[in-house]
Amino acid sequence: MVDVLPWTSEFDEYLRDESRSTGDADSISFPRTEGDIRTVMRSLYGATGPDGRPVPVTVQGARTGLAAGAVPAGGHVMNLSRANAYLGLRRDQTGSYLVRVQPGVVLAELRRHLARHTIPCAGWDAASLAALEELYAGPEQFFPTDPTETSACIGGMAACNASGARSYAYGPMRPHVASLRVVLADGDVVALRRGEVFARGRHLTLETEGGRTIELDLPTYTMPATKNASGYFVADDMDPIDLFIGSDGTLGIISELELILSPVPQVSWGINCFFGTEDDAIGFTCAVRPALAHACALEYFDAAALDILRRQRERSTAFSALPALDDAWGCCVYVELACDDEAEALADLARLRDILAACGGSEDATWVGRTDVDRECQRFFRHAVPESVNMLIDERRRTDPTITKLGSDMSVPDDRLRDVVRLYRESLAAAGLESAAWGHIGNNHLHVNVLPRDAADYAAGKRLFQTWARAVTDMGGAVSAEHGVGKLKRDFLAVMYGADHIREMAALKRQLDPYGQLGQGNLFAVDTCEGGA
Amino acid sequence: MHIVVCVKAVPSTTEVKMDPKTNTIVRDGRQAVVNPFDATGLEIALHIKDECAAAGDPCRVTVLSMGIPDTERLLRDCIARGADDGLLLSDRAFAGADTLATTYALSRGIACMDEPADLVVCGKMAVDGDTAQIGPELAGALDVPCVVDVQRLHGIVGSTLALERATDAGRELVEVDLPAVITVAKDAAQLRMPSIAGVLAAEGVPIAVKTAADVDADPARTGLSGSPTQVVRSFVPERASEAVCVTGDAAEQAAALVELIEEACR
Amino acid sequence: MSGLVIDTERCVGCGRCVKACASAGVELVRREGARPVAQPTGSCIFCGACVDACPVDAIAIEKDAGASEAELASYSGIWVFAQVDDEGRVLPVALELLGRARALADVRGCTLTALLGEGPDAPQDNERALVAAGADEVIVCRDGRLAVRDAEVFAHWVCDLARACRPEAILYGATAFGRELAPGVAVRLQTGLTADCTVLELDGATGLLQQTRPAFGGNLMATIVCPAHRPQMATVRPGVFAAPEPDWSRTGTVRTVSLDAAVAPRVRVLSREAASHGRSIAEAERLVVVGRGIGSKKNLPLARELARALDAEIGCTRPLVESGWLEYAHQVGQTGVSVAPKLLVSLGVSGAIQHLAGIGGAKVHIAVNDDPDAPIFGAATYKVVGDCIEVAEALLDKLGAQR
Repeated sequence: MVDVLPWTSEFDEYLRDESRSTGDADSISFPRTEGDIRTVMRSLYGATGPDGRPVPVTVQGARTGLAAGAVPAGGHVMNLSRANAYLGLRRDQTGSYLVRVQPGVVLAELRRHLARHTIPCAGWDAASLAALEELYAGPEQFFPTDPTETSACIGGMAACNASGARSYAYGPMRPHVASLRVVLADGDVVALRRGEVFARGRHLTLETEGGRTIELDLPTYTMPATKNASGYFVADDMDPIDLFIGSDGTLGIISELELILSPVPQVSWGINCFFGTEDDAIGFTCAVRPALAHACALEYFDAAALDILRRQRERSTAFSALPALDDAWGCCVYVELACDDEAEALADLARLRDILAACGGSEDATWVGRTDVDRECQRFFRHAVPESVNMLIDERRRTDPTITKLGSDMSVPDDRLRDVVRLYRESLAAAGLESAAWGHIGNNHLHVNVLPRDAADYAAGKRLFQTWARAVTDMGGAVSAEHGVGKLKRDFLAVMYGADHIREMAALKRQLDPYGQLGQGNLFAVDTCEGGA
Repeated sequence: MHIVVCVKAVPSTTEVKMDPKTNTIVRDGRQAVVNPFDATGLEIALHIKDECAAAGDPCRVTVLSMGIPDTERLLRDCIARGADDGLLLSDRAFAGADTLATTYALSRGIACMDEPADLVVCGKMAVDGDTAQIGPELAGALDVPCVVDVQRLHGIVGSTLALERATDAGRELVEVDLPAVITVAKDAAQLRMPSIAGVLAAEGVPIAVKTAADVDADPARTGLSGSPTQVVRSFVPERASEAVCVTGDAAEQAAALVELIEEACR
Repeated sequence: MSGLVIDTERCVGCGRCVKACASAGVELVRREGARPVAQPTGSCIFCGACVDACPVDAIAIEKDAGASEAELASYSGIWVFAQVDDEGRVLPVALELLGRARALADVRGCTLTALLGEGPDAPQDNERALVAAGADEVIVCRDGRLAVRDAEVFAHWVCDLARACRPEAILYGATAFGRELAPGVAVRLQTGLTADCTVLELDGATGLLQQTRPAFGGNLMATIVCPAHRPQMATVRPGVFAAPEPDWSRTGTVRTVSLDAAVAPRVRVLSREAASHGRSIAEAERLVVVGRGIGSKKNLPLARELARALDAEIGCTRPLVESGWLEYAHQVGQTGVSVAPKLLVSLGVSGAIQHLAGIGGAKVHIAVNDDPDAPIFGAATYKVVGDCIEVAEALLDKLGAQR
């Protein structure tokens, strides 16, 4: 049974997510099963609130999103963190393992259970238990999508098509999801298994389990050929599962997912390569991409990021375990290798040495992490950057609570990496803003963070991001490459796709959610969606 | 200056699981790692080597271990980080050694090096044994002074080392003339990562693997034969009787605890 | 011949030894027409796992005999090294050891001797305290070179005495100094040493000391003997044995000895700094111990507040020290401090066996953890299954209300 609980202050934490913005709501539910979700949705479908408008339903998981997708816009909050069961396991014809989970399963838990062979399997059928025995007996498996925040839940990760450092090799979440069950706004369910049904051109026909046939006209835009988490995924003859992945909680509620596991690479080494100048680091990135077949992550840390780490290491004992950074090092590219054996990894190291020599780097100005201790040190180094920036902003918020961190999440095609970095540098300098940049340089996807000192900086930063959205779109890029659009990047999405295409998206949503209840305010403003049923 | 760093291969985790049915240890097959205390010891040695280099003095760091042939992998990793060469004592005759027999083997290894050791650095203890005996025993075997539980290296002037050590009462700043043995606390330093140059160069470095005979070790003093102590019984520690469960919500539990606490402290 | 010996008559070929061995040191061989029997291979490391696994006692690790029986019989008496602190007072651990050694000496029917090395200005009443704790004899050396604790100087002193007086066993407190001194003596006397024993038993007939200590991170207890070398030596953590009630009516002899003039310290102490932390948790009567289960460093102040309300010291598990939340001086467990408080409240401690090895001395142990299967409950007197932060807050409330 599931209750729709009236709002009280004890639920206030559910008004927020990691974006640090706050919404409001009148009620909350914590479904544990698909049945619970359907019960709640049936009771809310088409219901109106005190203002006479349909009750918005905002779906939440672990609330680790950075785009406010889980922040409620009034109405009902459906929190799925308690729907966190492991439902079963099978092997497909290629031998891959597919684990079936509820959306509230937390990534860190999934990883831990896989590593320690402790997947909760009470109540599983014989076939699942047999597959589990095989899984444990065979080579170690993992789920490759690796957002920095490992307390994210699987449902939320699918809803925003999450990525991570290793997306350079493994892509985002999307290809690692084999099937989905989605509860629609009216409480009906669609079951989607990859490879079973396809759109015809841009027209999609969906059969629900309730026996309804839904005809959907897909938006007509062409998506950028870059890492992208902006708006609905659409393509000619597409698999409908891909439409629901990355739809920011606006089309339906994911009630069950089947995840494709991958074998853990035998040898996993991390290499921090330090450079004097950003130009050298970019040259290195461009040279490494075609040359290193086993690179699974290429991450960047700019001069400001390294300086922040140097200061933190001096100032705070919590960061004293950071390795010392040579003063001559201006920026860093982190390369992660995933190889079948050590010989392969050593051959890649030799290639890296040659590329470094050709790109103004040095084989001496590197850290090679091969042991657990060293890999942990490198992980700490990478995570210390965003953590330190958050601390810095928190400090500044004490004098001016209106400012927050402004982090960009835009990607461009490979051949525009130099252009976009030049754009960032020149416009930041012209605006006189303090910043630090890091992130997924392998995908030309840097998180440029403006560090506002006051409200004026904050406003200038926001304006700057708007101009970047335009420029990045013109370069053929995406305004949100991994965080999703949520509520915070709606304006960028409008810049990227234009008003007509936004209206097509809203129309698609209305076909599935006629009252515009689900994920209200995500992707587009409420009024764009109105005028439906 | 010649510095010898003693390293031990230990299991990568000390979280040992027991098989409840057989009462034996479940080994997870993960590779051994360098004892973390010894890793700190290596960093201290490499730091001294850096200081010597800055002063224009020659300094060589040798890593020494007694263990199975696979330990060569760990010594090579030490070389990748800046050690100059490695010596692995590996022989069936060394098997079953307690601390005294291990000390003897290591002292033979040091004695057979082509350059005498000015400084021997050990980890304060090994995470899998916790005995903390090898350092002081080695100092006794070599008849050189010993400083244990070094927290910080203050400096080296000529052949005198200034160190901060932990004692029962607090900390002491001490000086010792080389040759000497020191054992280091885990937090005394953080072992540097190797560079690409270091890793690739270490691949080509030959690591000496020597038997008991190679180092002129007396068979009566090595391995099982040379170990005065022997394990006669091992058993899973008994658990005390079942704990009494305090039930209720947090407030009720707290109320019950207050009474139990009063009773305990009476 | 030393090595793994398998009695093929007894062996039933069950293969348990092969399964128990992590080093492929034993295998089953099948002879024509006969049942399979176990046989050692070249990779045996003499760990003894197969000896324990064998259901029919067919496996043993045998060693060449060392010293002859006559040689062993020439040793007698148990010695306890009595360490003094900076003020010259005997440490509690020495009295604890004397208490236990008294019982052992009575079993063996031998003399119990305390070794007291101190500076010329040391207090005069240490000998009496040692006798009151159970010593029959106190060997005392007052020498300026013993006024500072230099392990090498002390080792020379103890070795010279042991060579002359041939004690059967010497026990040391496992203090920082004891753990440096004992191996220094062991290597010079070429004898065995067992660190951090938690149980000491003595065979009255043979004088063989059964020394039990945690092995493999405390998952196993190992009983260790030193059959053919004397003296048998062990260190014992403070708090493992209870200190005896002093019996001031006891009498004993005091023998004053001198230190070899040739012995000189080789480590120069330039300066000292007393430990900054408050009372040692080893001697705390009440202790609040926090583990990873408290979730976040920001919950530490709550634990401290609770400790204050209980007039308790604060301790923690190893991961918290490794994460830099608390200093090493607070670490409870096999690689930290062994504690023996009257009251121990553990919050969010899962109960890794290494930790359990350090809390065995607690009289009343209240454990709070949200995992009903946490191993800590196996060592607790009272268990509270629940969120340790909530319980700590509620407890703090109640304690506050009482005042």
